[in-house]
Amino acid sequence: MAIITISRGSYSKGKEVAEKVAERLGYECISREVLLDASDRFQIPEVKLIRAIHDSPSILDRFNHGKQIFIAYIRSALTCRVAKDKVVYHGLAGHILLTGVPHVLKVRIIADMANRIQAEMQREGISQDQALTLLERDDQERRKWTKNIYGVDPWDSSLYDIVVHIHKLTVSDAVDFICQAATKEQFTTTESYQRKMEDFALACQVKAALVDPFFDVGVTCEYGNVLIYTKASNHQINKLEKMAKRIEKEIEGINNLEVHAGVPVPKNAI
Amino acid sequence: MPIIIISSDSYKTGREIGEKTAKATGYDYVDREILGPVAEKSNVQEEKLIKALDEAPSFLGLSSKLRNKYLAYIQEATLGQLLEDNVVCHGLAAHLYVLGVSHALKVRVLSDPEELASQLSSEAGGSAEKVKKLLKRQDAQRKRWSLEAFDLDETDPSNYDMVINLSQIDPDEAVKTIADMTAYRKFQPMTYSVKCLRDKELASRVRMVLMERFSDVRVQADGSTIVVETKAIKREKQKRTEAIKELAGGIAGVGYVEVHVANDIFRQAAESSR
Repeated sequence: MAIITISRGSYSKGKEVAEKVAERLGYECISREVLLDASDRFQIPEVKLIRAIHDSPSILDRFNHGKQIFIAYIRSALTCRVAKDKVVYHGLAGHILLTGVPHVLKVRIIADMANRIQAEMQREGISQDQALTLLERDDQERRKWTKNIYGVDPWDSSLYDIVVHIHKLTVSDAVDFICQAATKEQFTTTESYQRKMEDFALACQVKAALVDPFFDVGVTCEYGNVLIYTKASNHQINKLEKMAKRIEKEIEGINNLEVHAGVPVPKNAI
Repeated sequence: MPIIIISSDSYKTGREIGEKTAKATGYDYVDREILGPVAEKSNVQEEKLIKALDEAPSFLGLSSKLRNKYLAYIQEATLGQLLEDNVVCHGLAAHLYVLGVSHALKVRVLSDPEELASQLSSEAGGSAEKVKKLLKRQDAQRKRWSLEAFDLDETDPSNYDMVINLSQIDPDEAVKTIADMTAYRKFQPMTYSVKCLRDKELASRVRMVLMERFSDVRVQADGSTIVVETKAIKREKQKRTEAIKELAGGIAGVGYVEVHVANDIFRQAAESSR
């Protein structure tokens, strides 16, 4: 049992790989479902969420933190799904949104530009040049998004456990590699890993509940004990504490919840 | 049987995986040990050949002209070894010049950053922060080196069939995966892919000889036909073509030599302004 994230560019056959891996291992295969969950739970149109995790932030976004808020919603929806285990997620930024979860097998699927162009031309009925422009723009947006929000390049291989190039290797070969790796001890869900995953999901839920208006709070959770770190002023702390108390009652699984002000936010905080 | 080319962000890690893969597959292992004979044959210090493989040209280090010359020696020797087949090759930058050869399985292995940091810290000393900066600088240098020497970014995963990160994956599991891949149909030598490798080997031999006199030559081979591209000023074109034909024509395996001399506009301008 494991959690698998598959990162992919458009037309790189990553979706096909994800579906086949899920089918062979008997796992749930999710992508858009996460956005639908987030859209439903936080009453945000799906299209806004898609833009939040696809387009790089505009100058305005950097001031109103709109993207950070939407990402917290998506992360909360994703971790709730993933906490159930046996999941293959092939939506955007899975490897980043699940950073800190130890038993996630992070895979990237890449394909040759020539094959991607061919696929885009066939599907959209456009010329080679148009297809190339669209693919390059799409890749660029995804790179810019990750660099702007998380300061890392999604094309950096060190973010993944395996990168498979679909060219000489086929979709079926990639499925074999991933299924083999997923059964290894380090990716198997143990009781302790499951506990960590549930704590992580809980912290993400608390963050999502607070992020509007407290976008800069940090949240950690251990054995259901939630700590909220803030740099807010005294006046805002009262407001935050009131909100936190309400959240403690609303979100299931919280043992204890504390607000810490004026202390450094730990690196593993969400 | 396929040839396996291993690239890594750490020489030590790449060597470990390469040696284990060779053992698991029963292939020969080719690494920087071949540089000794290369140095002897070309009358260059072995350290300089290693420097050409590791460092980008700099004011105090190797010039780009010398670096390219040394890399041509290494390329010729490595391609000769790869022609033998059943080979695991590491540490000779083969992933950057064995292109278009379908039976070459290229794998990049990334070390566990923590292990790499502690290894560096024990070797060079310094705090974790200092080591991190050092690693970042090394990565940037390698990237620059590969782009300058072969016009390819060696950190780009699309230059490989697979990238395996050893942070979570055990080295023995990585070796098993690589060894299993050698049985795949796509990595079996075909008439065409073997010909591609032979052409590359011949081109590298010709280039090595020509580079002694003409450092800017580009050589391609198709069977026994050699196409050489170079630059010269107008009045030297004829002379250069003849010299290249004479030099290349004497190399074993070369049948016909075609030379394309482009106008060297910078030298031409310098000559006419005198």
